[in-house]
Amino acid sequence: MEEYDAIVIGAGNGGITASAAMAQKGLNVLLLERHNIPGGCATSFCRGRFEFEVALHQLSGMGTVEKPGPLRMMLASLGVLDDLEFVEMSELYSIMMPDGFKLSLKPDKEEVIKELQDRFPHEKQAIEKFFDLSYKYANDMLSTFIFKDPAPSREKYPTMYEYAFKPASEVLDSLISDPLLKAVLSVYWGYVGLPPNRLAFPYLAMIFFTYIEFKPFHIKGGSQALSNVIINKFISHGGTVRFNCGAKEIKIENGKVKGVVTDDGEFIPARFVVSNASQVSTYVQLIDPQHVPGQVSREMRGRSLSSSAFSMFVGFDCEPDELGITEPTTFLLDNIDFGDRVINQMKKLDIDDQLLVLSCYDVSDPEFSPPGTCQANIVTLKYGEPWLSIPPAQYNKTKFRCAEAMLRRVEAIYPGVRGHIEEIEVATPLTHMRYLGHPNGSIYGFEQYTKDSMFFQPGRYSPIEGLYFASGWAGDCGFHPTLQAGLSAAKSIVRKLETE
Amino acid sequence: MKKNIFEDFDGYNDILEEIEHSRKYGINYSAERHSPAQFINRLHPPVLSLIVSDIIEETSSTKTLRLIPDDGYLPPFLAGQYVALTLEIGGIRTSRPYSISSPPNQTGFYDITVRRVDGGLVSNYLLDEVKKGDHLQSSGPAGHFYYNPLFHDKSMVCIAGGSGITPFMSMVNEIADCGIDRTVFLLYGNKNSGDVIFHEKFQAISDRFENIHYIPVIEEPPDDYDGSRGLITGDLIKEKIGNVDDKTFYLCGPQGMYDFCIPELVKLGIPDKKIREEVYGAPANICDYAGWPEDIKAETVFKVSVNGGRTLDARAGEPLITALEKKGVIVPSLCRSGECSMCRIRIISGKVFQPKGVPVRKSDRQFGYVHSCVSYPLDDLAIAL
Ligand SMILES: Cc1cc2nc3c(=O)[nH]c(=O)nc-3n(C[C@H](O)[C@H](O)[C@H](O)COP(=O)(O)OP(=O)(O)OC[C@H]3O[C@@H](n4cnc5c(N)ncnc54)[C@H](O)[C@@H]3O)c2cc1C
Ligand SMILES: Cc1cc2nc3c(=O)[nH]c(=O)nc-3n(C[C@H](O)[C@H](O)[C@H](O)COP(=O)(O)OP(=O)(O)OC[C@H]3O[C@@H](n4cnc5c(N)ncnc54)[C@H](O)[C@@H]3O)c2cc1C
Ligand code: FES
Repeated sequence: MEEYDAIVIGAGNGGITASAAMAQKGLNVLLLERHNIPGGCATSFCRGRFEFEVALHQLSGMGTVEKPGPLRMMLASLGVLDDLEFVEMSELYSIMMPDGFKLSLKPDKEEVIKELQDRFPHEKQAIEKFFDLSYKYANDMLSTFIFKDPAPSREKYPTMYEYAFKPASEVLDSLISDPLLKAVLSVYWGYVGLPPNRLAFPYLAMIFFTYIEFKPFHIKGGSQALSNVIINKFISHGGTVRFNCGAKEIKIENGKVKGVVTDDGEFIPARFVVSNASQVSTYVQLIDPQHVPGQVSREMRGRSLSSSAFSMFVGFDCEPDELGITEPTTFLLDNIDFGDRVINQMKKLDIDDQLLVLSCYDVSDPEFSPPGTCQANIVTLKYGEPWLSIPPAQYNKTKFRCAEAMLRRVEAIYPGVRGHIEEIEVATPLTHMRYLGHPNGSIYGFEQYTKDSMFFQPGRYSPIEGLYFASGWAGDCGFHPTLQAGLSAAKSIVRKLETE
Repeated sequence: MKKNIFEDFDGYNDILEEIEHSRKYGINYSAERHSPAQFINRLHPPVLSLIVSDIIEETSSTKTLRLIPDDGYLPPFLAGQYVALTLEIGGIRTSRPYSISSPPNQTGFYDITVRRVDGGLVSNYLLDEVKKGDHLQSSGPAGHFYYNPLFHDKSMVCIAGGSGITPFMSMVNEIADCGIDRTVFLLYGNKNSGDVIFHEKFQAISDRFENIHYIPVIEEPPDDYDGSRGLITGDLIKEKIGNVDDKTFYLCGPQGMYDFCIPELVKLGIPDKKIREEVYGAPANICDYAGWPEDIKAETVFKVSVNGGRTLDARAGEPLITALEKKGVIVPSLCRSGECSMCRIRIISGKVFQPKGVPVRKSDRQFGYVHSCVSYPLDDLAIAL
C-alpha cells in the first residue's frame, strides 16, 4: 500500500495550493475531494452554450508583469503562472441606482479621487483624507507584517496603532457627511460579508489598496482554469487526487494525527492532514469528540458563521452593450442605509432592496461566452438559516420567488434584460452547503469581526499534532487569501519535517 | 514571552473582552455533527432506496414502474426531471436516467415509464425481470428540462416522440391537478397507433381542460385514421398552435425527431432560446457522426489502462463508460448524455471521439478531461478516474 506523508481534505483553493506546494517539495501527498472536480467555490458549470463562473468576480493581489503583486509571485513560485492567462479589468467598480445615479471608478488612485471629487464636490477634502488614511494604514501594515520591521512602534506607524480595531463606519462618519458618498465608498463590504458598522476599517482600507495597486483581474477560462492548472501541477509533481471520495474521519491517537478514513471506509495512514473543510466540520464531524481538545470547542464557541449567498447565473443571447451593461463589476444599489438593517435583510429569505453585485466577464473578456452572447453572475448575501427551515416541497417555489425579485431589481436598472435570457440557473445557500459542505452554506468562513482577525485566532494551527487548516475558515476569505492559506499550511509542514 | 505589537493597538483590551463574552454566550457547534448532510439529503439525497409497488402495462412494449420510498421519504422534484436508476445486471453495475412520469404533487411515489429498447440492457431487465416488491436504487431527481417561471412563456408547446412523452406526462398532470395557469399544446409523434403511451389519459385530460391540447401524430396510421398523420412538421405545428411568438417549445424524443423538428421550428422563425431540448442519451451510431475517422470501425478494439494499473479492452463504437463498467470499473453517472459532467475522467494519453456540442468546461478540454458517457476510444488510452 502506498505511503503518504500528508493527506489533504478538500480541493478548494486552500486544499489545492497546499497539495501542490507540498508535492513540489517532494512530499507524497494524497488529495481527497468529495466532488468530481477541483475548485470548491473556484469552479464553473455548463448550461446550454454557457459555462458559468461560480465565484470569481474580481481577483485581487495579481499586479501586472511590471509591478507584480503577491498573488502573481505566489503563482510563479508554484510554477503555474505561464499556464494561465489573466485579464485585467478596466474598472474598479461601478454603481447603478434605479433613480439613474451612475458612477464608475477606474483602478487608479488619482482617478478614483478625481472622479469622486467631481461627483461629490462638497466632500473634496474628505475624499482625499479617506484615501490617504487607507493608504497610510496599508503601508503601515505592509512594513510591519510583510516586510517585518524588527522594531515597529506607535511613532513610526501611528495610523495602524490608531485604526487597526476601528469599525469602518466610525472612520467614514468622522470624515464624511454625505450618506450617499459613504455608501459608494463602502460597497466592497459585500466581499467580506459584514456591513460597515460591523466591519473593521482595515478591511475596507486593504481592499481599496490591493484592488487599486494590484488591479482587479479575471482569468481566461474562469476560476476553473486556475483550479485545473494547480491540480495539473500537483499531479505532475507525483501527487495523487481522488475525486468522488470524501473524508469521513480523521483518526487521532494520543493527540496526534494517524490518518484518514474515506467515505468508502478505507483507512489511509498519514502523519499530516491539511483540512480545507471548515473548522466546524473538521472538529465536529470528522474527529471523534473525545479527541477534540476543550480549548478548540471553547474558541469555536466565540465564532459565528458568515452568510451564504443567493446567486443567479444568466446567459443572454446578445452582447453586453445591447443590455446596457458597460462595466465588468456593478453594484446595484437601492438603499444607502448600510446599518444593521442590512444584517436583518440578510437573515430573511426574500430579496428587496439589498445590495447586489452583477459581474459580466464578457465586458473585459469578449471571448468569455460564445460569440454574440454574454453572461452575468448576480449575487447577494444571505444567511443560510432561513433556508434550512423551508419544507423541502417549498424549496423550488421559494427559490424561484427570490430569483424573480432579484431579476426585477436587475430589470429596473437594465430594462429589457428578461427578453434576452437564454439560460438561467439559481444557487441558494443550500446549493453552497451542498457543493462546499460548509455549515449553513457559509461562503466567507467564520464572520470576520475584528475579534476574528488573524491577531486573535489560531489560523492554520491546531492543538492536534499533525493537523493543519487551509481555507477561508482559517483566515481571510477570497481567492488570494485562501490560495495563500494553502501555501502557508504547506510551509509549516515542510518546515516541521526539515527541523526533525 | 515577547509581547505582540498588536497588544498596544488602540482598543485591544476591548476586543479581548469581546472574545471572552462571545465564548461565554456563543454557539455550541456540536449539533452540526450530522445536520448539514441531513438538510441536503432532504433535497438532494445521493441515493434513494425504492420499492416497486406496482407495475402498470401501458402498451405492449412499455410499462410504468411505481416506486415508493423504502424509508417513507421522497425528495421533491420539478416536473420534467429524471432519476438515474443504479442496477447490477449480470454482474455489470451501471445506471440509466428515467424521467419521472408522475406529477410532483403526487408525493407518495415516483412513476417511471420504461419502453423496451431492442437489445437494451436495462430496459429489458426492468420490463422482464423486475417484479412487484423488488428493491431498486436511484439518484435523487436531476436535470434541467422543466418549466422555468423566470423566462419561459406561459404557453408551452411540447413535442414528444415515443418514450419521450414521460416528462410531459408529469408536466401535464401537474398543470391539471393543481389548476396551474399555463397552456399546453402537446404534439406526440409515434410510428403506429399501438405505440402511443398514455393515449387515453391525455385524451381524457384534454377533454376536461381547455388549456390542455393533445395532438397525437401517427406516422403510419391505418387507412381509417382521422387524426394527424406523418411527421410533426412546421405546418402542422402552426396549424395547431396559431401564434408562435408567445410560446416556449419543449422537445423530448429520439435524435431523429430533433434532427427533423428543430429545422421546422427554425423555419417558423422561433429563436433558439425558445427551443428547450431534453438530452436523450448517447448517440446510437457514433460512427455515422460527422468527424468520425473513416478507418476506425465500431468493432475496433483498443486497450485502456486505468489509473496506471490494470488494462482492459474497449470497443470504438461504445462509450468509454460502458466499457469500464463491463470490467467492473465504476464511474459515477447521472444523465449518460454528456450534459451533467458526473462521469468526468481524464485522458492521459490517446485520443477519444466526442460528438460536437457536448458541454465540457473550457479548461477541462485543455487538460484532457472528458465526459466518459459520450467519449469513444480512437486509440489505445491511458485514463485517470
Ligand atoms: C459552489 C458551486 C458550485 C457549482 N458547481 C456546479 C457544477 O459543478 N455543475 C453544475 O451543473 N452546476 C453547478 N453549480 C450551479 C448551481 O448549482 C446552480 O445554481 C444550481 O443548479 C441550483 O442548485 P440547487 O442546489 O438549488 O439545486 P436545485 O435548484 O435544487 O436543482 C437545480 C438543478 O441543478 C443541479 N445542480 C446544481 N448545482 C450543480 C452543480 N454544481 N453541478 C451539477 N449540477 C448542479 C441540481 O442537481 C439540479 O438538477 C454550482 C454552484 C455553486 C454555488
Ligand atoms: C458567490 C461567491 C462569490 C465570490 N466572489 C469572490 C471574488 O470576487 N473574489 C475573491 O477573491 N473571492 C470571492 N469569493 C470567495 C472565494 O471564492 C472563497 O473564499 C475561496 O474560494 C474559498 O476557498 P477555500 O480554500 O476556503 O475552499 P472552498 O472553496 O470552501 O472549498 C472547500 C472544499 O472542500 C471540500 N470538502 C469539504 N469537506 C470535505 C470532506 N469531508 N471530504 C472531502 N472534501 C471535502 C468541498 O467539497 C470543497 O471542494 C466568492 C465566493 C462565492 C461563493
Ligand atoms: S453522466 Fe452526465 S455527462 Fe456523463
